[in-house]
Amino acid sequence: MPEPTLNRILYVEDDADIRTIVTMSLEKLGKFRVAACDSCAEALALVDDFRPDLLLLDVMMPDVDGPATLQVLRERVSTASAPAIFVTAKVQTGDIERYRKLGVLDVIIKPFDPMVLPGQIERIWQQHWSGANDYGG
Amino acid sequence: MTTADEEFRREFTRLSAAFVAELPQRVQILSDDLAAWLSAPREALMFERLSHRVHQLKGAGSTFGCNGISNAAAVLEQHLAALHSAASSASGGTAVALEEIEAAIEALRDETNRVCGESAQGGKSGARK
Repeated sequence: MPEPTLNRILYVEDDADIRTIVTMSLEKLGKFRVAACDSCAEALALVDDFRPDLLLLDVMMPDVDGPATLQVLRERVSTASAPAIFVTAKVQTGDIERYRKLGVLDVIIKPFDPMVLPGQIERIWQQHWSGANDYGG
Repeated sequence: MTTADEEFRREFTRLSAAFVAELPQRVQILSDDLAAWLSAPREALMFERLSHRVHQLKGAGSTFGCNGISNAAAVLEQHLAALHSAASSASGGTAVALEEIEAAIEALRDETNRVCGESAQGGKSGARK
């Protein structure tokens, strides 16, 4: 299957500082279109119109965390099969494997360098579509 | 360096400075939340809010290159989890964990003062350039 172009990213992160930095990085440096949301509820409100190519989800959020947000988004037609990446600062032994079993392509660990983040995401995307990983999406 | 890079770096520097400027207030709010939770340690929502603030500070600190802040918040996060666990089980480990938490919040205040002091002197703000 030819690799689809990564253009629209739905980003859910409750921390306003990090949300701003990441959005700026992805838009200005990566030239992606980004819908940045502070919660699962906000993501649900715009996801059908935005129709993201990729979901970028913070793991630790109040109320509805990243894994639960992914589960909710999987029930929407517009995001049922959209590949997803988790972002987290809290990684313990076995966490990454556990997250991958939820169907995410990869896990980006905080802190990350916002200057290289778009390239990192692009690489994960390319690996996914070239079949370099089997975690699905 | 491209114009987009320059623009991003400029904006990042501005946001980093804003983060440092707001640090004392964030640490004070966190400290107030801690005091409130310690007076009612079985309040799950209070603990959730407190641990979430600490977690955010840890993440934002490292994102802005303030590793000392992030490390101090990480220590506080660990001690809070230990204290929460002890308070829930009433296993007797509370007193030790409480001292550690006080030390951790003091370390966070000290690091905040250091970072803000450097920023005020126009030196390294502690933030990634």
